[in-house]
Amino acid sequence: MPELVVENLKKSFAGNAVLEDINFTVADGEFFTLLGPSGCGKSTTLACVAGLEHPESGTIRVGDQVFFDGDPRSAVPPEGRNLGLVFQSYALWPHMTIAGNLALPLKLRKVSGPEQKRLIDEALDKVDMLHLRDRYPHQLSGGQQQRVALARGIVYAPGVLLLDEPLSNLDAKMRDQARIWLKSLQREVGITTVYVTHDQVEAMSLSDRIAVFMHGRLQQVGTPTEIYETPATPEVAGFIGRCNLLEGRVDEAPAEGSTVRVELGSTGQHLKVVRTQDVREGQSATVGLRSERITLSHRADVAGDGVNVLRARIKQCSYTGARFEYQLSVGDLDIHAESTVRHEGEEISLLIRPEDCLLYPATV
Amino acid sequence: MATETPPAPAPPRTLRAGELGTPQYRRLFGAGREVTIHWVTFLVTAALVLAAVVPILYQSIRNQPLYAAGGAFTLSNYVHLFTEAEFGTIILNTLLFAVLTTVFALAIAVPMAILLERTRFPAARLFGQVLRWPIYISPLVLAFGWIVVYGPAGFLTSTVREAMGWVPWNLYTLPGMAFVEAVAQVPVAYLFCANALAASDTSLENAARSVGAGPVRVLRSVVIPMLRPPVLYAGLLIFGTAVETLSIPLILGGPAELTLFSSFLYEQGIDAVSPDYGLLGAASTFMLVTTVGLVIVQARLLKQAQRFVSVRGKAARSNLLDLGGWKWVGFAFVGVYVVFGALLPMIALVLRAFTSLLTPLVNPLKLLTLDNFRLIFSYAPYTESITNSITVAFIGAVAVTVFGTVVVLVARRSDFRLARLLETAAQSPHAVPGLIIGIGFFWAFAWMPGGDAVRGTLFALVIAFGLRALPSAYGAISPATMQLGSELDNAARVAGADWWRTVSRILIRLLVPAMLASFLLIWTQMIREYAPAMFLAGAESQVIGTTAIDLWTQGETGSVAALATLQIAVTAVVAGLAGLLLKGRKEKNNA
Ligand SMILES: Nc1ncnc2c1ncn2[C@@H]1O[C@H](COP(=O)(O)OP(=O)(O)OP(=O)(O)O)[C@@H](O)[C@H]1O
Ligand SMILES: [Mg+2]
Repeated sequence: MPELVVENLKKSFAGNAVLEDINFTVADGEFFTLLGPSGCGKSTTLACVAGLEHPESGTIRVGDQVFFDGDPRSAVPPEGRNLGLVFQSYALWPHMTIAGNLALPLKLRKVSGPEQKRLIDEALDKVDMLHLRDRYPHQLSGGQQQRVALARGIVYAPGVLLLDEPLSNLDAKMRDQARIWLKSLQREVGITTVYVTHDQVEAMSLSDRIAVFMHGRLQQVGTPTEIYETPATPEVAGFIGRCNLLEGRVDEAPAEGSTVRVELGSTGQHLKVVRTQDVREGQSATVGLRSERITLSHRADVAGDGVNVLRARIKQCSYTGARFEYQLSVGDLDIHAESTVRHEGEEISLLIRPEDCLLYPATV
Repeated sequence: MATETPPAPAPPRTLRAGELGTPQYRRLFGAGREVTIHWVTFLVTAALVLAAVVPILYQSIRNQPLYAAGGAFTLSNYVHLFTEAEFGTIILNTLLFAVLTTVFALAIAVPMAILLERTRFPAARLFGQVLRWPIYISPLVLAFGWIVVYGPAGFLTSTVREAMGWVPWNLYTLPGMAFVEAVAQVPVAYLFCANALAASDTSLENAARSVGAGPVRVLRSVVIPMLRPPVLYAGLLIFGTAVETLSIPLILGGPAELTLFSSFLYEQGIDAVSPDYGLLGAASTFMLVTTVGLVIVQARLLKQAQRFVSVRGKAARSNLLDLGGWKWVGFAFVGVYVVFGALLPMIALVLRAFTSLLTPLVNPLKLLTLDNFRLIFSYAPYTESITNSITVAFIGAVAVTVFGTVVVLVARRSDFRLARLLETAAQSPHAVPGLIIGIGFFWAFAWMPGGDAVRGTLFALVIAFGLRALPSAYGAISPATMQLGSELDNAARVAGADWWRTVSRILIRLLVPAMLASFLLIWTQMIREYAPAMFLAGAESQVIGTTAIDLWTQGETGSVAALATLQIAVTAVVAGLAGLLLKGRKEKNNA
């Protein structure tokens, strides 16, 4: 099955721009995730791909079949797109049994009776729901309904599978299981999948690539590693994982050096940062610093060559089981850090490697 | 001969992504078939509404009957209408009647709603149910019942005259007429207020009580202000109904020589030897403008009312006000109304149907007879009017429910461009009085080539009654669609169903309970409908209501009572069956 291409998508509701300039391509068989905070336009994007909403402009196609080219009148209707869509609310048809729910798309495609039964049983077997095929949706638990919704989405082997937060109604434990199971299911079926979520753990563990959405715009598209290690903007860094965003000013940027020095606010302390971006001396910049990349120590002299040392005060330390979480202050800046070790006392040193710092010069 | 071995079945295998492709649908006129369905639905609705209204407007400015050759445009009809000697009196009578009806109905219904919904009241649920009954009985039947009990020779009238030498009431006056109409309208006002009270937030009341306000104080300062929107809306609704109603002005106003606007239309159009079509057109237009104006105001108000009514989950019933001894005053009030206003007239009417005379002087059991029924069944047109009513109501209720469902789905669940306009068109007959619909279709059929073949048939009645009932069907089904999340349609669309498949496979199936409710509503409405038939019905297409009026003018009170009894019985049987069906479905779904 060919790739899904979305270009220059724009959509607004009653004058409010909800999507602006959305571009992405999903390769054949890829698990592609739209990740972003609530209300950023993920579901709207999915609805546009499925043909349930019409964008103002842009192009949507699968291979050389154009679904939408800017004119709503020539748009391919949802039933002509051959997609599978699993809704956040499952949307199982309440008057049909589980098997009946799966049969409808097959009936519409004029699949013969015995073949229908075979495909339905196969799909239900994949999601471990074969034993409940004759129940009605309201007789199932939320997790079971979600599996059925998924089975209904794949039973007719659509070209592309669209999933809108399908795990959001499950409890934490079931969600962990469902994630593992969903991933292996997608591998097995090999279907091109667009997955929508606001849960970064889900996105990181499932996806081949992630598109980070914010305020109706795509901030970054990349593999989970790229998104985590080299977030394109401070917002992305702040959204994925726990990241301190420290405001400062570049005070040394030697022309041929591989690092620059940033003065942190008015604290009088400095951080050497790998020069990943083009910066000038005197420019304001934000430094992103992941909580788990900060080493806490009472001894500043253990720092290796070139490692930054910040002096900090411990404001609060809380025990979360697997580790300790620290609220620290460096001058008037608040910093959050994690460690597996409990540190007593008030004063502490923070050891930070320049390559762990993310540099974002302020845009003018 | 060796039989050919069939080819070995291909081993089952997993489908490749996209292998099955998409379902193919037939396209009509170069577009999906839903486009055709949407337009046909819209055009049929619009055509029906226009057919009822346009001929009237046109006739009102023509100096000849609209089907006659020649004729010219003129304003003289309006001049004629407004300079008609009686015109002022008629308007005044109508206004007074409508105002009194509204006042009486609200004065009865609002206290009852508060008593039953907000205070500890004996048998509140039972009374709440009984109060709704008159909805199923037509004002015409109610008027007959009232005459049997409270008319000049009525059962109670005679009793009271016997005892006191005089009678403190007279039905054949404007207040008397208004009171009977009010009894017919009490359920409307009651339902509005009771629903508003049931849905409203009791935390306001609790707050008032927690600062030490007594029950009466709470009622006065919290509950009553909350009722302002529903009272206003119900009041307007009742006012509008009173302006257009024909039954009571005809039955009670006639003998009293009190002409109201609707009975004026009736006299001009039916009673007159040679009707003045222009005058009738102008008068109908005048009436139409009034009712449309009222409905527009109602719609405005309803929008505002919804904003004010606080609907925040069903409040627990635990904190009902306790009125102490006053509760028995309330009980007496509700009891007297239910017994003397609603029950007694109905019982008397049924009793009258089975006796040759109903008077306090003779034990009715001694006068038992079936003659009243015999008269009806011995004369074919009378018998036919019953089967006609049942046929029209049955076919009409099915047709209107099905068509109404499609209209709702096109208006609410499609991307049809004129969806809003379709919704307005489907609700607009609400503003057209039954008499006017009758006149409008009468002229439309007269005007239309080939219309004469239709006029006077049951088909014409189904169309006219059906159009009048369309807003009710819309109102019964539209809220049910709002309960169905749009992702149910979306899921079907994405799975490969086009709009019509989605409607037929998913939405209609889920709307079956609402459609049953709509069928029941329309059935009860249509079995008692007769106003459009006054103009439209031919000799072979009389309905129960028109026959009853006919018998009434002949003085056959007993047979009228028998007819009314039959109508109530048929309504009740079908309502009971449908109720069982609805309940059965609910239980099945809950199982
Ligand atoms: N039908 C609509 N009319 C008006 N605004 C809408 C409509 N649908 C969505 N919006 C707005 O568009 C924005 C994006 O909505 P969308 O449902 O795509 O968000 P989302 O990213 O899926 O959020 P969530 O994670 O909460 O599901 C929101 O601000 C929402 O208020
Ligand atoms: Mg969403």
